[in-house]
Amino acid sequence: MSSLLLIFSPIVLSLFVYFITRNSGYAKYIALALFGWMLFESITLYMQLPQTGYMLLGEFLDVKAFDFKLVLQVDRLSVIMLLLTSVLLILVTLSSWSMKNQAAYFALLIFFSGAIFGVFMSTNFLWFFIFWELTLIPMYFLVGVWGAEGRVYAAIKFFLYTHVASMFILLAFFLIYKQSGTFDMTMIKEAVLVTPTLIWWLLFIGFAVKMPLFPFHTWLPDAHVQAPAPVSVLLAGVLLKMGAYAMIRMVILMLPLEAQKYAWVILILGLLSLLYAGFMALYETHVKKMVAYSSISHMGLVAIAISAMSFESLSAGVYEMIGHAFIISPLFLIAGFFHHKTGSWQMGDMGGIMQKSPYVSAIFVLAGLGALGLPATMGFIGELTILISSIERFGTWLIIILLGSMLSAAYLIWTFRRVIYGEMSELVMKTEFSMSKVEFLSLMIFAILIVLFGIYPQPLFDMINQVFSGYVIGGAL
Amino acid sequence: MNTQITALLLLPFIGAIVTFVVGKYKKSLAFWFAEIIGITLFVLSFSIFMSWHEPLNFDFQWFTFGATTLPFGIYIDHLSLVMLLIATGLGALDIHFSHDYMAEEKDQARYYSKILFFIGGMILLVSAKELTGLFVGWEFMGLASYLLISFWHQNSAPADAGVAAFLYTKFGDIFLFAAIGLLIYYTGTLDMVKLNQPEINGSISTNIIYVIAVFIFIAAIGKSGQFPLFPWLMRAMEGPTTVSALIHGATMVNSGIYIVARLFDFYVAANALIVVASIAALSAFIGATSALVQDEMKKVLAYSTMSHLSLAFMGLGASSLAVGMTHLVNHAIFKALLFLSVGAVIMSTHHTKDVWKLGGLSHKLTLVALFMGMGILSLSGVPPFSGYFSKDAVLASALLNPQTHGFLSTLTIIAGVLSIAYGGRLWTLIFGGRVRDREIYEKATTPSLFWISLPLGIMAVSTLVLGFYHEKVINFIANQEYIEPHADWLLLFMMSAISLLALLVYYFYRRRYSLREKVSAQPFMKTIRQVLLNGYYIEVMITWFAKNIMVYSVAKSINWSEKHIIDGLVNGMVSLSHKIFILFEKTQSPKVSNQSGTMLLGVVLIVMIIFIGSVL
Repeated sequence: MSSLLLIFSPIVLSLFVYFITRNSGYAKYIALALFGWMLFESITLYMQLPQTGYMLLGEFLDVKAFDFKLVLQVDRLSVIMLLLTSVLLILVTLSSWSMKNQAAYFALLIFFSGAIFGVFMSTNFLWFFIFWELTLIPMYFLVGVWGAEGRVYAAIKFFLYTHVASMFILLAFFLIYKQSGTFDMTMIKEAVLVTPTLIWWLLFIGFAVKMPLFPFHTWLPDAHVQAPAPVSVLLAGVLLKMGAYAMIRMVILMLPLEAQKYAWVILILGLLSLLYAGFMALYETHVKKMVAYSSISHMGLVAIAISAMSFESLSAGVYEMIGHAFIISPLFLIAGFFHHKTGSWQMGDMGGIMQKSPYVSAIFVLAGLGALGLPATMGFIGELTILISSIERFGTWLIIILLGSMLSAAYLIWTFRRVIYGEMSELVMKTEFSMSKVEFLSLMIFAILIVLFGIYPQPLFDMINQVFSGYVIGGAL
Repeated sequence: MNTQITALLLLPFIGAIVTFVVGKYKKSLAFWFAEIIGITLFVLSFSIFMSWHEPLNFDFQWFTFGATTLPFGIYIDHLSLVMLLIATGLGALDIHFSHDYMAEEKDQARYYSKILFFIGGMILLVSAKELTGLFVGWEFMGLASYLLISFWHQNSAPADAGVAAFLYTKFGDIFLFAAIGLLIYYTGTLDMVKLNQPEINGSISTNIIYVIAVFIFIAAIGKSGQFPLFPWLMRAMEGPTTVSALIHGATMVNSGIYIVARLFDFYVAANALIVVASIAALSAFIGATSALVQDEMKKVLAYSTMSHLSLAFMGLGASSLAVGMTHLVNHAIFKALLFLSVGAVIMSTHHTKDVWKLGGLSHKLTLVALFMGMGILSLSGVPPFSGYFSKDAVLASALLNPQTHGFLSTLTIIAGVLSIAYGGRLWTLIFGGRVRDREIYEKATTPSLFWISLPLGIMAVSTLVLGFYHEKVINFIANQEYIEPHADWLLLFMMSAISLLALLVYYFYRRRYSLREKVSAQPFMKTIRQVLLNGYYIEVMITWFAKNIMVYSVAKSINWSEKHIIDGLVNGMVSLSHKIFILFEKTQSPKVSNQSGTMLLGVVLIVMIIFIGSVL
């Protein structure tokens, strides 16, 4: 029953939170306590997990006529996502400590947390889809209401893109139901399906928009630019991971034969994302757009890892997903902070911020170094493991993914030069950079995580390796 | 693992953190912490050196992903030990020197903690067993140099120089990264000792091993500032001079030579030494000639670093591992000495770097003049200084090796001989002759004996003493009785060329000053001077390519296509459905929001889905 609470208590609570705390500042404390409880529950789940396979948490709403049972079960992959999500939610709460219009903001955040837990916990396609769509609603408002000037355009573009993608996904789910007679994703056998190729393509395109892969990515930079910084963290750290999670779960593990056949498609799109977004970031002068393109570029790396479909590469891919979440979040937060203080997004208006705000700038540099894959950060381990495992699968020509690494070095180092180092611009000179202690604390935690798991990645890999070792034994890979 | 080695590996990094925290608390404490840690590191290296008799090998596992395990071993043999002694010894002297040189700096904590991090990177690099471990140290050094070169980040020039240093070396680094991937794929091991064994490197095809060797060498080119990735070395002069001494003498630039030496048998098997030799000869020539005309004291030394590293590479390229490495060791000492001497001059003349504003300083800075003179003599290869022995051996091995004999050896000899010209010129212009700028001369202060002259003296004495123990050094580096390559006429030739050039310099820059001005006013000489002054315009070309091709052509056109093609398609679809909407509704309201159009699109899609669903 507690599993059901994990999903629905936030969704129900969000309404109350809004009305109760509208006139007081308690919303953030409620959110923090709730997310803390969710993290605790996720850890408990992780402890109870069997070595392989799913653990059933409960079945609800048993409608006999129609396969509409809400089946909540988790395996190691979903619990890792739950852990990542709840950690990020806590850090996002800390970094939105001084957000305006708090009651509504945190109500939406709490609603989002319930929906996202639903996505990772339900194994019935219909419920998966319902939760998947539910995450869009708070996101739409978070971008559309708290955003900057062009927020309506961005929010609609975001909604539309992901909505059209959802249509593909829903169609695929109905096709699966029609052909196999069940909505239970753990029961699907590829051999039963009549048109596995069509289903594979529908699912792939649907999830590729979410991830996002080139050429379906253009909603993301716009949404990022308009979204307030903590919401960008949710977008990059949770929403994109949802796409990657679904890609691994349904496109790769559920339909391995089709995936083998079309692995090159994922690979090519991943490579294109990596390099295309790299060049986009190189030319970009808008700080947050640069970070957004860098984020797309790294998701391209995740796609490459997923496409190689081996034990090693999937582990590397999941590691890179987590690493990407921890690395890109402080970049977004700090880019947002600089904008909040100076009022400008343009790198040309900034410069010399290191002199005004040395510690925040130092964390920006550290996270940037993580993004360009410097050893002792998570970015390096991700890049190294993805390089090794994808070469193993596709051949040595894949060393061209290192071109992406060169590009990221170029745009990030230039960004440091233009934003952080050098002489102070007039705008920076007259700006007062002060950050609240709580917000700084969340940045510090990100920085520590980046370095800690960059030097000593074994605990993380211990968790990730077990995810896929079950599939290795089962011969699915 | 051996406690000494554990301490050696961890102390610099822990020390960097502690120094930073303590230094933020109280400014003056930063130096003392750094000094104590620096000396401890040297003592540790020295004690390992004294008790060492066979390679120390410790295997650890870093992490396991999937079913693959990446090891992280420590391996200390004679090559690592030499590098350890150099890095920690010169590092400690450098920290000691910084006490006065950086005395006016406000941010002591940041400075000393970065210096310790830098030394730590080098220690990690030379004691790693696998290429992965080496790569970690390799990148740490890249980071540390970036942070230290742009230490005065509030000014544009150092900030730009840091960018250049990071990107030039990073360009090389991705090739090393690629080599790591290729080696795992083809051999399954990154253990550098194993890679040297014929069972491993003989098992892959010669083309592949050649490509891997060249990839690793490209990384070495980047780090050691060889043609064409050298411009960052000169830009790096924007950093504090103590940092230049550390980069050019003790740590960073040596790592490129170290990696080729470490994988020497791999290079022999790959037949790639001729590539090393060719690049080395060309770089030696470029460096030595460009050093002749530089106006800034530190740039003369920077080009001379490039040239002398090339000589060390040449030694390796001519298949004499021990000779190349010995020259590296000797170079490290006299180059650190020269940089710190120049630092002393800069400090006492209140940040004058232009060599034409100095002159006649030997009266004021007698000790510095003496020690720097010894450094110059060692640099030029005058016996009995250590520089002579190794340079002579490098040139001899270049001559005797049939692969490098001829054009390459000629370039190398020219570069080797030219050292006296730029070295002598530099010394004469700073210390000798008449005083050119009376004001600077009058204001010049005498540096402190303990903080400035002592470290210089130690280095000057070492470069002299090592000359007498030359046999021992080279035997230790070769790890056996080593018979040096020898060419009978070379000594005679070198001595006469050096004397001739020394006379010429004396004449040109001291005696007949007017003659120099007359010669350099010639249009032809002016052109040559411009080319040399700009380092053959290599930097201009690379910058042009990066800026105009990569950013303003490729990136710009991709940016255009994002706006007009990919987004254009989507927006086009929306506006198309918008138009259809208007067509159907016939409402002439001027502003129909995009939303209604997009809503229609959604409706159309849902209808389509229902249609497809019913068909299937």
